[in-house]
Amino acid sequence: MLKEGVFQIVKENIVEVLPYLANKEISIQASLKDLGANSIDRMEIVTMSMERLKVKIPPVELKEVNNLAGLVGLLFEKVNGCA
Amino acid sequence: MNKPRSVVVTGMGVISAIGRDTHEFARALREGRSGIGYLAQSSAYCPLGYIGAGLSDFCFVPGLRQYSGLPAGLLQRAEQCARRSPLMVQSAVLSSLEAWQQARLYEQPIPTRQMGIVVAGSNLTQRYQYDNRQKFQESPEYLSPWYALHFFDTDHVGTLSEIFSIQGEGFTVGGASASGNTAIIKGFQAIRSGLVEACLVAAPMTDLSPMEMQGFSNLGAMGGKNYYHEPGKACRPFDKDHEGFIYGQSSASLVLESRESAKKREVEVLAEIVGGALVLDGNRLADSTVEGETRAMEEALAQAHLQPGHVDYINTHGTSTPLGDETEIRAIKKVLKNDLERVWLNSTKSLVGHCLSSAGVVEAAAVVIQMREGFVHPNLNLDNPIDGDCRFCGPRAVPAKINLALSNSFGFGGINTSVIFKKPVHQYSIH
Repeated sequence: MLKEGVFQIVKENIVEVLPYLANKEISIQASLKDLGANSIDRMEIVTMSMERLKVKIPPVELKEVNNLAGLVGLLFEKVNGCA
Repeated sequence: MNKPRSVVVTGMGVISAIGRDTHEFARALREGRSGIGYLAQSSAYCPLGYIGAGLSDFCFVPGLRQYSGLPAGLLQRAEQCARRSPLMVQSAVLSSLEAWQQARLYEQPIPTRQMGIVVAGSNLTQRYQYDNRQKFQESPEYLSPWYALHFFDTDHVGTLSEIFSIQGEGFTVGGASASGNTAIIKGFQAIRSGLVEACLVAAPMTDLSPMEMQGFSNLGAMGGKNYYHEPGKACRPFDKDHEGFIYGQSSASLVLESRESAKKREVEVLAEIVGGALVLDGNRLADSTVEGETRAMEEALAQAHLQPGHVDYINTHGTSTPLGDETEIRAIKKVLKNDLERVWLNSTKSLVGHCLSSAGVVEAAAVVIQMREGFVHPNLNLDNPIDGDCRFCGPRAVPAKINLALSNSFGFGGINTSVIFKKPVHQYSIH
């Protein structure tokens, strides 16, 4: 799967949790916090994305992530088994 | 000491198998329409499904559109807060919105810190937990982080308080099948004592998992065996063929407030609550007792300085369980004595099933509707009454003047409750 495909799945989950973002441009440089997600929504989006992609990321690795690019990058590495 | 304040009902909301709001519910009560059929849940013994009154077509977001009289901001907040919440939270939000609308709290508000919330029931997330268990066992990492909030019963308190901006006292109360009445009693006491000016009493639907269904079934408490192929006949409170309760899913909410507050806000008083008693048997079992049930009704009457002669109607607990029905009739006979043949009796459970922790609030709404509209609703399937002296309502609704009504709820573990509703003073006449 390409990185773009991973970002697409993350965006779908963002819209599922935050419906007001439907049909809006979501920049990969944005953070979930910038998009209006509260702390539980942020973890929900991460969990849903891991499940869709059938990968598991230990919480300690997620600590390093501070925007969508970081999250997509980490998910992409796990999907391709290189992390 | 100040005189206790009068407590009135100014808003009601109901979502049930026989009506998605109080108007539809009222019409179904009058028509004697039963919501009992087959549920989606089945077991080896119930291949077509368990018999029950289910909220089969419940849908939260479209359901919000019913309350178009409410401000858009409130409805948006409700959608944001509960769109992804478990079913029982959503059911409580919808019935509370209806009660809020009727009480006109959106246009005639009460200061947020003078309002409280009591949520009826405990262990409200059984089905939600059960549904998450398989996924958890396979991949615990994928469990939703919301689980840590939703599994608490108090998720209801948090959600309702955020939607309605309520900042006084808030908590959940458990009383098994008497949880609804217990919540009404706690709301009544909080207003009466001056702790809050108004209280939202919210009763989410009871959402049983297959494990609770099987547990009730193994206990022998659940009916539906003899009339398995005629589900509409399975729930038959006070009939000789009764064999156990039939599960129902309904949510109901009430807005209770002090009479002064309702007067100040110029909102219509639907009924007054004049007494409410909760007494224990000292018994952990599922066996009801005449002594405990009698004491609950008598203490409620004594609180209100009333005599059996004032009572026009009793909304019975009437679960269609042989021991429960017989015990309640014996208790009613002890309380009413010579007034027995004058006082109307029925069981709302014959129409909506046993809604367990929400039953008391659903039945409170049924009492207020019958009182206001002047009828008693049918007690379905009463072909051969277990008692020949009582004045049961039969298969059709009967016009009746109800000025004073008792509503009974009894729970496992010897929890006995009775709440007294009175027609508002301006409509009240002494018979």
